[in-house]
Amino acid sequence: MKENKKYLKIFLYTLLAIVLLILPEIISNSYYQLLINQTLINAIVVMGLNYITGMTGQMNMGTGGIYALGAYGMALLTTKTGLSPWLGLLLAIVLGLLIGRGLGYPSLRISGIYLALTTIAFAEVVRLLLTNWSDFTGGAIGVQGIPKFSIFGYTLDTDQKYYYMLLVLTAILAITAKRIISSKWGRVFQSIKDNPDAAEACGVNIAQIKILAFTLAAVYGCIGGALYSCLMGYISSNTFNQDLSINYLIMMMLGGIGSVAGNILGAGLVTILPEMLKVLENYYWLIFSIIMLIFAIFMPYGLVSVPGKIMRYYKSKKKRW
Amino acid sequence: MASQIIQLIINGVAMGFIYALVSMEYTIIYNSTGLLNFSHDKFITLGAYIFAGTFVLGIGVNPIVGVLATIITMFLFGVIVAVGIFNPLRNMPSRLFAIMGTIALGRIISEAIRLIYGATAKTVPGFITGVYRIGSIVISKATLVIIGVSILVVVILQIYMMKTKAGKAMRCVNQNKTAATLMGINVSRSIMITIAISAVICTIIGVLVVPLYSINVSMSNTIGLKGYAAGIIGGFGYLPGAIIGGLLIGVIENLSTVVIAPVYKDCVSYIIMIIVILIQPRGLRALIRRKK
Repeated sequence: MKENKKYLKIFLYTLLAIVLLILPEIISNSYYQLLINQTLINAIVVMGLNYITGMTGQMNMGTGGIYALGAYGMALLTTKTGLSPWLGLLLAIVLGLLIGRGLGYPSLRISGIYLALTTIAFAEVVRLLLTNWSDFTGGAIGVQGIPKFSIFGYTLDTDQKYYYMLLVLTAILAITAKRIISSKWGRVFQSIKDNPDAAEACGVNIAQIKILAFTLAAVYGCIGGALYSCLMGYISSNTFNQDLSINYLIMMMLGGIGSVAGNILGAGLVTILPEMLKVLENYYWLIFSIIMLIFAIFMPYGLVSVPGKIMRYYKSKKKRW
Repeated sequence: MASQIIQLIINGVAMGFIYALVSMEYTIIYNSTGLLNFSHDKFITLGAYIFAGTFVLGIGVNPIVGVLATIITMFLFGVIVAVGIFNPLRNMPSRLFAIMGTIALGRIISEAIRLIYGATAKTVPGFITGVYRIGSIVISKATLVIIGVSILVVVILQIYMMKTKAGKAMRCVNQNKTAATLMGINVSRSIMITIAISAVICTIIGVLVVPLYSINVSMSNTIGLKGYAAGIIGGFGYLPGAIIGGLLIGVIENLSTVVIAPVYKDCVSYIIMIIVILIQPRGLRALIRRKK
């Protein structure tokens, strides 16, 4: 029985890998390819958000600002100095570390709602600076001509080639996330969400761990932003508004809090479904928001918790029989 | 120069009162339920839209009747939201889902507004317009109305909380819900009234800013955020602090335009807020307690 389950799991993973590898061949439409690339980037950002909001239970509402800094860091470095995008990716990671430390330190030392408010304010300040400091950031016009990645002289100039790079990066970051979640760090994160007093009594330095979680979130967010600016080749400041931050929260909520698979599922749903359900048009976001509210009240652990719930229900029924 | 600074201070006080009202409106909900209402700016927008879109431009009633009708509508809306959304969220095991719930509520309201009233911005022509001149200082009528109405709201809320039985129950629920229940106070009903009052204050803010901004879906985003900054500067959950914090932010951000470019005016209050969190997270509350 157990052996069978193991083989089934391996079989499913292989199937998933094959589907992901030949996906660009199946879809010929370049617009859908762009959407799928966007999904992978969103998945990275949501996995980051999961550390701080999903696992540790601290509200981060400034993902848009973090993402924007990553995107602009990449865009300005590559267009102003002509350096390789790989250095831009490195810069994004450094920026993420700086944001995590710089914002986490004031707002996470003290318990309460402060992180949510500081991150909102941070995102707003970033947006205002990007819009108004037009000599340096291009203002509302944005930055154009962001170069593509190249590996050993081989340029990833089409979305299909870029897809494979994103796939590899997403896989690496997803495995890292999975490992971190099931490591000591992950359990400490969860203990802070469940009962901070008990965690502190067990000798956990709560403030430090929260800052760690937030730093991870910021690094993932900045990487996502940097990859986004290379995907689009053009960015402007009005993309990175408050709605974007909320969309990432919706992705995490719908897919499943605290689970990497759920994060990726949520990112996919929120990015691709609007295109599939063109019929709903204007009502689309209204319906999604209502679903999110219902989820928040009745099914707080998202879609990935559904199979487990059904299984438990059947098991309890069997026992009663 | 002197008259310019006086002008800035007067405008700053008017904006400051708006921020003070915003921070009061969410502080009373925060105190009684422990939830931060992240949809409060959408409540303000909804109030403005119901006033302008439905009553004044739609049915075509007199603005004063329109204000009263909007206040009654929003009071009922507050009751429905309290029963349908805030009460279940308040009893959730984790704060996180409650915050998510209020965010989703905000999104629902703004999407509903977009569907019902359309995406184009509205204005109410001839609603509180005109200016007064004292020497070289120009004071718009809207500024005076904002200051007057805000002081009135603050005083009425204070009288309500100190003198009436329902207000005393509200303060009791803020301090200790179990003890309040033991004293025979209906906690759920008290919370319902609190949220309804908050919705009414939101409506008043929405109507007051109609002469300042055009009415669109994102009109109150900035006010909402600055309300949070005001709350933090005054000490979170401390009502008098919220009012002083609001006034401080309004005046400081207006005066800052003398030194820096006006486009960065909005950044000033957020940066002050982050500095306050860094140095003294309890804000002005710490100062006042120390004096005693």
